[in-house]
Amino acid sequence: MIFLGKIMAVHSYKGGTGKTLVSVNLAASFAKHNKKVCLMDLDFRAPSLATFFRSEKVECWLNDYLNGTCKIDRVLIDLRHRINGGGELFVGLSNPSTEAMREMSAKDRKWEMRALGRLLALRNSLLNDKSFDYLIFDTSPGLQYSSINAIVAADLVIVATTFDRSDVEGTKRMLRELYDLFEKKTGIVVNKVLYDVSLKSGKNDLQNKMKEMYQVPVISIIPCFCDVSRAEGASIFTQEKPEHPFAKIVDEMADRIETNDLM
Amino acid sequence: MNHYTCFVRLNKHNLLLHLYTRKTLWGAKVTRQQALGGKPLQVLEKIRQNLERLNEKMEIMIELQKRDRKGSQLLPDAPLDVMTLLSMPDHLRKTAMTVCRLGRATANEVAEQTHRARAVESSYLNQLVIMGHLKKERVGRKAYFYVEKESEG
Repeated sequence: MIFLGKIMAVHSYKGGTGKTLVSVNLAASFAKHNKKVCLMDLDFRAPSLATFFRSEKVECWLNDYLNGTCKIDRVLIDLRHRINGGGELFVGLSNPSTEAMREMSAKDRKWEMRALGRLLALRNSLLNDKSFDYLIFDTSPGLQYSSINAIVAADLVIVATTFDRSDVEGTKRMLRELYDLFEKKTGIVVNKVLYDVSLKSGKNDLQNKMKEMYQVPVISIIPCFCDVSRAEGASIFTQEKPEHPFAKIVDEMADRIETNDLM
Repeated sequence: MNHYTCFVRLNKHNLLLHLYTRKTLWGAKVTRQQALGGKPLQVLEKIRQNLERLNEKMEIMIELQKRDRKGSQLLPDAPLDVMTLLSMPDHLRKTAMTVCRLGRATANEVAEQTHRARAVESSYLNQLVIMGHLKKERVGRKAYFYVEKESEG
């Protein structure tokens, strides 16, 4: 088995493409399959994982870790009780208060550089010292400092995209002018696709078309599921409904990443 | 009479050394070995090393001249943040990112990663030092390049 990478950044050109949905469910899928996973919310401008896991007690935020005022151990929240399976899931949340968002958006270049150093240090502190199998960074869309830091620190960039024309154009530009420049391994997840999941031939055609369009491997194609939208991002969907086709697609995605079998 | 000519061409990225032999007036060819007193490889190696040093110095002078023309001061502590990396020319970004990855490295170690010539990497590393993005420290005969400690956090 060729190992592709242990740190993943889930990024997109536009908002609303399903980054958080993919990050949370992918992390849960790895954990379900006996992996030790850490999910981190690096979307400091519009934190979303704090809503996902609002019932959990937060000792420190990721903001504090990047500010250098606390260690990563105090940021991580153990979510083993929310996972069905033998693995472990931890989460690092970013502070959703308006004051914290304002403060993060006013950081200067030197701070961002130190923040990158702290993200890079996670490889040692979490992957090597604490034996995590995967770190997953959920990022802000577009060209934000925190997102580019996450991309630089990652081994694999998972780009969530839709069929929206401006999204397609923007994603193509980012592939050429961002990920390529940092020599990052990249894979595409096409979300909210309007086709019947049972039509295998349609799926294959679409995969080939996407691969040709973006010139990078396609990790997954996710149809538009009304059930997923209806869940309103209130829980880990694949944990709630493990038999749902979406859960199977996420499991396949996790398997493909683990075995480096990208389409 | 022997007619031996040595051309040295020096450009920004490559050091090319051309040695040419021409026929004597009597038609006998003078070999390179004869021309260099029996130790051609050592002499060539010495010339190559000198040219590499010269190339490094020239790169530094060129960079200093460019900055003088712009009327700007050298940046002693220009942060090597991701936006700076993005705006760099491709050849410097590759070198800078390799140093970021390695933490602290010699030109040789960077060259091994980038698969470019040591002399080329040496000149890029020195440019990054002049631009204030990297620090350079000499330990014996080796020069180590690194991102400023304070900036690494």
